[in-house]
Amino acid sequence: MSSFKYGVSLYSYTDDIGTVMDLDEALEHVADTGATGIEILSESHIPAYPMPSTAWIDRWFARIETLRLVPTNMATWVDTRLTLTRDMSEQEGAAQLAQDLKLAHRLGFRFIRPKFGVVDGELTPHPIWRGAVERVLDLAHDLNLIIMPEIHAPTPIRHPVTEAYVDFIQKTGTRNFGLLIDTGIFQDRPLPYWPGETPEIRKAALSFLDGIAVPVEHLAEVIDYVPFIQAKFHHIDEHLHDHHIPWERIVPMLKRLNYTGYLSSEYEGARDPWVAIEQVRRQHCLLRRLESAYDAAQEPLHA
Amino acid sequence: MPERSIIQSSGFANIGPVAARSGFAVRLRQPNYRALRLSLIEGIDITVDGEHFAAEASTILLNGRDYTHAQMAETTAIRWAVGECLSVIVPRSGGLKPGVHEVGCVLRLRHPYFPPQFQPAFVRESRHITIIR
Repeated sequence: MSSFKYGVSLYSYTDDIGTVMDLDEALEHVADTGATGIEILSESHIPAYPMPSTAWIDRWFARIETLRLVPTNMATWVDTRLTLTRDMSEQEGAAQLAQDLKLAHRLGFRFIRPKFGVVDGELTPHPIWRGAVERVLDLAHDLNLIIMPEIHAPTPIRHPVTEAYVDFIQKTGTRNFGLLIDTGIFQDRPLPYWPGETPEIRKAALSFLDGIAVPVEHLAEVIDYVPFIQAKFHHIDEHLHDHHIPWERIVPMLKRLNYTGYLSSEYEGARDPWVAIEQVRRQHCLLRRLESAYDAAQEPLHA
Repeated sequence: MPERSIIQSSGFANIGPVAARSGFAVRLRQPNYRALRLSLIEGIDITVDGEHFAAEASTILLNGRDYTHAQMAETTAIRWAVGECLSVIVPRSGGLKPGVHEVGCVLRLRHPYFPPQFQPAFVRESRHITIIR
């Protein structure tokens, strides 16, 4: 039976990396979960980005080989609002993407996730996105990379932003552009307040943090365009109960849709030192348990 | 590695000769999860024991280079990396009295991928740190 691939984004260890653990140690924690996929953030984890030293690149390949990790996605940014007085042009956006595609290729990655600047509260990307991406599709093809914008709360699947990306794929016929689904869109219970957040702020501007609860069935409408999933989560307790993300519905749906790509852990919860290490391990235990339960339930059909 | 707090204990120091201090320095850890182009830092305000020092009057010392507030706004290719510290150099005649001070910082950061109503985003912290001499 086909199965998911498991990965971890180093975003999970935000604030720990650089204060209580270094990159090598973070990679060891990822490998110890049994995951194979390693996802990094370009500007966070590559020293001297965008031009890491050859010594660093050698070390990167040595480490992932020793730990049997496979580079998956490199998260990147297109800072459209570049200064207070001017926005990036389409050419500058394309140059940013080209630079990141080449760097991702050098480091062995298969995906990049550019985070374009947005123009409204629904996360509508800056209008240069389309022209900028068009200009680098051939390069992405040559380098065997897929460019993926992120479908992230508060933007649901049934939304003009997502539809515009799908329209782009259909019109260009490209296989080098796809949707990255962030499982935060399925969150169906409120997050605790972040430091400094008040009930008034939540109500006025951050109501999506109460959960936009996209029905998991909507995945069926876009799954053909989804090569990668960030398994966003916020807290899993000692009974392996996730307090916000309905994995018991997400996992069976992805199995029914024959998704065989990565589930790349993205822990985004309390940032007390070392908490993330244990949280990621709990998620991997939970996801593997749900996948095994689904597979076991199917077996009699094939007996 | 830096302290977990944004405001660092080490690096808090007076500037200039003992008899003619021209100001003081506060060292900060990069507070964001990704590197920040200097042009995305709209300002770093400092308070010491309630006295306010606006970002516009200070300079930033990063990797041995000084940047005025106006220079930072146009510097798009230099980044303040994760895990790296910079110093805010605050002019204040006489510097600060040696001892423990309550130091606060407010960083105004522009994240282009945040909706416009969250531009800039504010990062605030305050703690007691010690200037030795």
